Amino acid sequence: MIFEKRTERIFLAIFFVIALCIPLFLEDNSFFVGKATTILILAVFVMSLDFLVGRVGLVTLGHALFYGLGGYLFVIVTPEYEAVNFWIYAMYIMGISALVALVVGVVVLRTSGIYFIMITLAISQMAYYFFFDSLEFGGNDGLFIFMKPETSIFGLNFLNLDNPTHFYYLSLLAVLVTLLAIKIILRSRFGRIVEASRLNPERTEALGYNIFAFRLISYIIGSTLAAYAGLLFALQYGYVNPQFMTWEMSGTALVMSILGGMGTIYGAILGTITYEGLQYFFEHMSEDWMLFMGGAIILMVLLLRKGLAGYLEKLLEK
Amino acid sequence: MSTELFFVQLINGLQYGLLLFLIASGLTLVFGVMGILNLAHGSMYMVGAYLVWYFVAVTGSFTVSAILSAVIALGLGILIERVLIQRLYNRNHLDQVLLTIGMIFVFNSLQSILWGNDPYGVAVPDALSGSVPFTDNSSYPVYRIFAAFICIAIAAALYFVVSKTRLGMLIRAGESNREMVEALGVNIKSLYTIVFAIGVMLAAVSGIIAAPMRSIVPGMGESVLITCFVVVVIGGMGSIKGAFVGALLVGVISTFAAVLMPTMSNMIIYIFMILVLLVKPQGLFAK
Repeated sequence: MIFEKRTERIFLAIFFVIALCIPLFLEDNSFFVGKATTILILAVFVMSLDFLVGRVGLVTLGHALFYGLGGYLFVIVTPEYEAVNFWIYAMYIMGISALVALVVGVVVLRTSGIYFIMITLAISQMAYYFFFDSLEFGGNDGLFIFMKPETSIFGLNFLNLDNPTHFYYLSLLAVLVTLLAIKIILRSRFGRIVEASRLNPERTEALGYNIFAFRLISYIIGSTLAAYAGLLFALQYGYVNPQFMTWEMSGTALVMSILGGMGTIYGAILGTITYEGLQYFFEHMSEDWMLFMGGAIILMVLLLRKGLAGYLEKLLEK
Repeated sequence: MSTELFFVQLINGLQYGLLLFLIASGLTLVFGVMGILNLAHGSMYMVGAYLVWYFVAVTGSFTVSAILSAVIALGLGILIERVLIQRLYNRNHLDQVLLTIGMIFVFNSLQSILWGNDPYGVAVPDALSGSVPFTDNSSYPVYRIFAAFICIAIAAALYFVVSKTRLGMLIRAGESNREMVEALGVNIKSLYTIVFAIGVMLAAVSGIIAAPMRSIVPGMGESVLITCFVVVVIGGMGSIKGAFVGALLVGVISTFAAVLMPTMSNMIIYIFMILVLLVKPQGLFAK
């Protein structure tokens, strides 16, 4: 069983049952289906960050770089007025993102600790201003996606990305695949070594493992997943702009993942839903929603030691 | 670039760098002594600027307003440390990040509730409103020179306190070995409160000094926060000397970049920081 904890199994079972049914209840309300889709896409992004920060030990404040990159790459590599095949181009974009992550990783992994946080922040800020100040990439307005891709596999086509419900299920699939992928990686020999190098780098190195290589590969995996999330987000809204890459975006994802319970992976889903839910609730309650949001975040830090997942585990694990 | 323009830009850069140092010094002091990365540090800069704007509007006197604002900031620092930060010393750094992000939300929201979202400006105090002739056809505002000197004075005072006084001795001792200082009977809790409050006040004072030179707008805290990170990382986290050198470098480089290559000016300090970290992964004055 790759889901070791009872809490994890219960939460994921409830989550997937509800998530599968949501469009059935909201069929006539495309706003809520769209909102739910966004939350699922963010959950993919936050899970990839949770993997890096909580399990590999790479606290990055520049993860949004790859989120934005996924969106920008789509507009850059696809022809403007032609519906391309989604799966082929998604793989193509993830491939390029992996290459970018390789280059960025080689640079940022030379530092550690607080300096790692700062250099990842600096690189994503650099990318942000690169797109912000560039004319060919649309500057602050970004770029528009005029044609949504088609999604046929071997001639079979059962997803239409213009249909919100179909897009919703595509995003739910992304959540499932990301969750399983991260879980399987963590249980593999590779994952064990990665975790060992977080818990005790010196000893792992002494055992003969090249920590740098393991961290670099993990960084590439996490970044590529983030790029996929960014690609989905850009496709859902039909544009990409520098706002995808702000440090606030990276920071918010970090908040979601700490809130959910760092390193638990399923907590990332929980954290994303809670954060987005609270924000939605406060935004509708008051104009000064940020005051309540900030207050709620502060309260949760003070009261929950291991995030929401930690709290649930205390209730459910005996 | 003419010699004259070169010197004007150099002075601009140094003056901006000194202001950056003043903001960054609080950040690096708090990090060095307490190990806390205060993401809400930029918000304190914003609070300083808004407070002085508000008090100038009420009292009409810049000096009175500046002192009032600084005292309030000091009190705010003590309050935040006592009520919030103190609870997180035994927790991991990410919890502190989360807490201070929550504080950014609260401060930004309070700013918008109390003072609205319009941009404001503070008039330069009358006594400092002139300008000094520089060459035949250019001059430099007195207030900017005054601001630079205030920054230098505060830097000198900070250096004196940290390296020559008993409080500074305790601060340095707390930096290198917290348990030992505690074992020697020093109340490290109140030492931390003092250091955090000084950090907050330094940020607020920077905001006060900057108020007559820059516009007071929502979000001013965040943009200055990121620049400060660049400064302290280049200098070496926790090193006040490093923050000083880093701030002057960033100030001069970004000022010249804005003139020489406007399309790349925003990126240039990040590129510089990455280059520094590639050569010295712990910053220029790593401990």
